[in-house]
Amino acid sequence: MPRRNSTLNTVISVAVFIVLEAAALVMLSRNDSLQKVWISRAGHAIMGKVWGSTQAVGRYFSLSSANRQLAIENQELLSRLLEAEEKLRRVKVDSMSFPVNQGFSLIPAEVVKISRGKQHNYIILNRGFEDGVQDKSGVITACGVVGVVDAVSRHHSFVFSFQNSEVSISARLGDEGSNGILVWDGVSSNGAILKEVPLQYRHHQGDTVYTSGHSIMFPPDIPIGIVGDSKIVNGATNEISVSLFQDFKALRYVSIVHNNSLDEIEDLQP
Amino acid sequence: MRKSSFWTVYLMLTLFQLVLSNYGSFSPYVTISILPVMALCIPTRIKTPVAMIVAFATGLVVDWLSEGVLGLNAFALVPVALLRDGIIRAVFGSGLFARKEDFSIAKNGLSYVAFAVSMAQAMFLVLYIWADGAGTRPFGFNAARFGASLVVSFIAAMLSVNALSPSDR
Repeated sequence: MPRRNSTLNTVISVAVFIVLEAAALVMLSRNDSLQKVWISRAGHAIMGKVWGSTQAVGRYFSLSSANRQLAIENQELLSRLLEAEEKLRRVKVDSMSFPVNQGFSLIPAEVVKISRGKQHNYIILNRGFEDGVQDKSGVITACGVVGVVDAVSRHHSFVFSFQNSEVSISARLGDEGSNGILVWDGVSSNGAILKEVPLQYRHHQGDTVYTSGHSIMFPPDIPIGIVGDSKIVNGATNEISVSLFQDFKALRYVSIVHNNSLDEIEDLQP
Repeated sequence: MRKSSFWTVYLMLTLFQLVLSNYGSFSPYVTISILPVMALCIPTRIKTPVAMIVAFATGLVVDWLSEGVLGLNAFALVPVALLRDGIIRAVFGSGLFARKEDFSIAKNGLSYVAFAVSMAQAMFLVLYIWADGAGTRPFGFNAARFGASLVVSFIAAMLSVNALSPSDR
């Protein structure tokens, strides 16, 4: 009972205190312009904090839809970039009177499941053959290469992640440099190795590595990572470590790349 | 001194504070106020909400009848009344409240009373100077004003405390 009385007294004291201080502040603000500005500024600061916090909470809960929207916009931009690069290539190739390929189309997808701690990592995407996905399609993001579609069901695709020791892609050093084979280093989440780079090609730490375009699965000129250390292997080629742009731990939205000339190219192959 | 005489002394000290506020402003660095010690010496039998209302009214009267800004003394004095209970318990122990006694220099010693008074004065002056400057005065000025005001107000408060808390009350 005494504790209850004590709590009640405290509540009453605090309430009276707030009322009296509020009254004093109102009087201060009405009687002196300096204090009026001061109190009004303090009020705005408090309201800013309160409303800022509630907005931050609201934004946190709407992050998922914002991410989805960003992924769609990203995919749209990537698509336009590829289209523009394709047009540029056509201009160059047309002037040399060679036939041109028909470019790539993109299908946006979301990662349903991803494995990272193994040597043979995989990704499952929420797009299948009903969405137009075909096997042997590449999977990319704006930050680089993600993997290769290995199998497709009605609504899902099974992708060999780039972090899979069986996956290798053709990559190019810098804008005009040599091509090599890029594979996962098998250890780190953002490490790769560019193999079989001829010794005569010079490179520097910090150079960008791009997709070469020699693969039928990936469009050329997608930035993949940055050159790190290198070493000579068997006295014949360079082996260069690459730090990937793509963070696989944060992978959520991707684009499935389909080569529109794939059937034609495969028909030509023996 | 009879118990009812506290309020007479309180009223007289309020008038004295009015004189101080109107004629005691000899430097922008010094603010003399005995209002905090008056709030601190409100008898322990008076509950905190009532003490706050008394402090608020006293502050308003001083603001209104002196050249101050209305609400300034009230704003700084109400928190002292809110924490009066806590200061007394912290410095003199809870026994005073249990016995419904008030503190005094003769009963509790000069050092304890001086410590409690300086806490109340400091709290009041921090709020008063902060609100009076309204964020426009530099920190150095406010700090110097606080130091000088605390010294002068403390002396005035210690002279008043014996009138407010005589040993026989």
